[in-house]
Amino acid sequence: MSRYLEKWFLSERPPNCHVADLETSFDPKITLRKLQRYKMSVADWCHYGFLGSVLLFVFITNPAPWFLKFLAYAFLGLLFIIPITSQFFFNALPILTWVALYFTSSSFPASSRPPITVKVLPAIETILYGDNLSDILATSTNPILDILAWIPYGVLHFSAPFFIAAVLFVFGPPTILQGFSFAFGYMNLFGVIIQNFFPAAPPWYKILYGLQSAHYGMHGSPGGLARIDKLLNINVYTQAFSNSSVIFGAFPSLHSGCSTIDALFLAYCFPRLTPLFIGYVCWLWWSTMYLTHHYFVDLIAGSVISYVVFQYTKYFHLPVVDVDLFCRWSYSSIEKYDMVRSDPLQVDSNDVESVPLQAMDLGIELNRRDTREGTNSLSPYIFDRNDNSSATSNTSLDLQGDLLNPTSRLGKQRVD
Amino acid sequence: MRTTSFSLPKSFLGVLPLYLAVEIVLGITAFNKVSGAFGILALFTGHPLAFMQWVFYLWSTVTLFVFAQGLFEIHKPNILTFSQIFVFYSIDTLCNCFFTLWFTGDWFNVESQTEAAVGSTITKRTEDISSQGASQGYEYSMTIFITLTSLVFRFYFNFILASFVQELLRHPKYMFDQDDIEQDLKNKSIWKRWWLKCQKSCYKLCKNLLA
Repeated sequence: MSRYLEKWFLSERPPNCHVADLETSFDPKITLRKLQRYKMSVADWCHYGFLGSVLLFVFITNPAPWFLKFLAYAFLGLLFIIPITSQFFFNALPILTWVALYFTSSSFPASSRPPITVKVLPAIETILYGDNLSDILATSTNPILDILAWIPYGVLHFSAPFFIAAVLFVFGPPTILQGFSFAFGYMNLFGVIIQNFFPAAPPWYKILYGLQSAHYGMHGSPGGLARIDKLLNINVYTQAFSNSSVIFGAFPSLHSGCSTIDALFLAYCFPRLTPLFIGYVCWLWWSTMYLTHHYFVDLIAGSVISYVVFQYTKYFHLPVVDVDLFCRWSYSSIEKYDMVRSDPLQVDSNDVESVPLQAMDLGIELNRRDTREGTNSLSPYIFDRNDNSSATSNTSLDLQGDLLNPTSRLGKQRVD
Repeated sequence: MRTTSFSLPKSFLGVLPLYLAVEIVLGITAFNKVSGAFGILALFTGHPLAFMQWVFYLWSTVTLFVFAQGLFEIHKPNILTFSQIFVFYSIDTLCNCFFTLWFTGDWFNVESQTEAAVGSTITKRTEDISSQGASQGYEYSMTIFITLTSLVFRFYFNFILASFVQELLRHPKYMFDQDDIEQDLKNKSIWKRWWLKCQKSCYKLCKNLLA
């Protein structure tokens, strides 16, 4: 078995290459030494400062006994300091922070929370998207559609991130999993913070209570998932959603956010399968509306947060993927995006296609002299006007116009 | 060369390169445009669509294709594609303002009817609990705030795209004569021919407006 695995995963491994190696030591001194040598950048200060303050807030506001809270944080500290566990847990800090804040959310006193909105989301949905899309898609239901909606919403949403993390770890470039946990954690953390600051009732509320104003003593509802509980003769979703930590957390949809971030990472690693991943996001979108859990605007908000966080992660953290390489052990080095060099508007003096304008002006001067001499020679045009195969000629339309009418350029200065 | 009377943003939020902004703008817009496909899906549930909804959903679906193509070539931009995107985006911004007004009218019509029907049945709650639900004023101001914010972003995004296309038009690397390029249109399907012609006219328009 081990020989088979070795042949399968390590056959392409470059000799003496250690980029894909994992830390196997249990010695805390290694971590402490690394910490001593580490120089914090501005981004690091923001990152750890923000997560640290959220964790401190959770530590103070969580209703659990102080001793237990202290024990939990001490245990986390221990996991961070042992190299073998720290490489996974420390990089999962944004995810841990999100989970901590999410489960503390239910304990915030109702008196200090913002008022729950009931009408804002359906109103925005109609104003921005023309109709109550979520309402329409949930009007006719049948058991086959129920199952079809349940698969992404009730099963894949909870299991996919673990599976995707494993796939990215094995088949993506080294350190991509760090990027995934960063983006996944931050997306969810931003989502939960917005949900707490802007509590809004999901579509099932409108079905159950109409336009009545809501209060924090209300229980959640499984919406359309109650039909699944009935169909499968279980009580899982009714139980879970009735006691959810964030009952009025319709905006943004973290189901949509998670599926989008999953799809973006998979498409980043396996670009050829992009249509499949887009299909998954559309499937999940439909299912959340069909099960009356979210309005369309929530889905868009969730996906937009995911997309923005992913773009940031891509340009500042993610390693570049080489689609020709099979797995993490095939990489000989880790390359990051160079934001400036990938800028299509950057003027590179070494690039033959980026001919400086002065050179072009020189060419025009020569040509102008020719015309003045009455030769009517259009020689420099040969490459641009008559030879249609030259797709990358550097003469612009306005320059050509100027060439035909040389006086028009006199006294005119380019502002480029 | 014509210069625009006001200056367009030269970077994203004052620090990041423009192409990152364009990638974000196109992604966000593409997400929003998927609403067209979901709106048309409503037909399968037997929900009738009003004329204006048909126009809105079909337009959204068409623009989804226009904007999505930009996402695939942002690192190697084609000036024709981005001219088309800019022109469609600008038309879409205008349409968006109109549709927003139209559907706001729709919503408030429905809202006033349901309010009249439901108004009398709302149960009375104690002072303490009822303060946890948002007041009418809060609901309306949040609705207006979110709608206006989305419109403000839309205008900013429009300027970002204008600036990107302007930079492309002025960049020596992309500054070539579009009439020089052999298109071989005869051997292409009618859709492709129409699409390329559309791009070409958008390019000419952009050149007049922005270059």
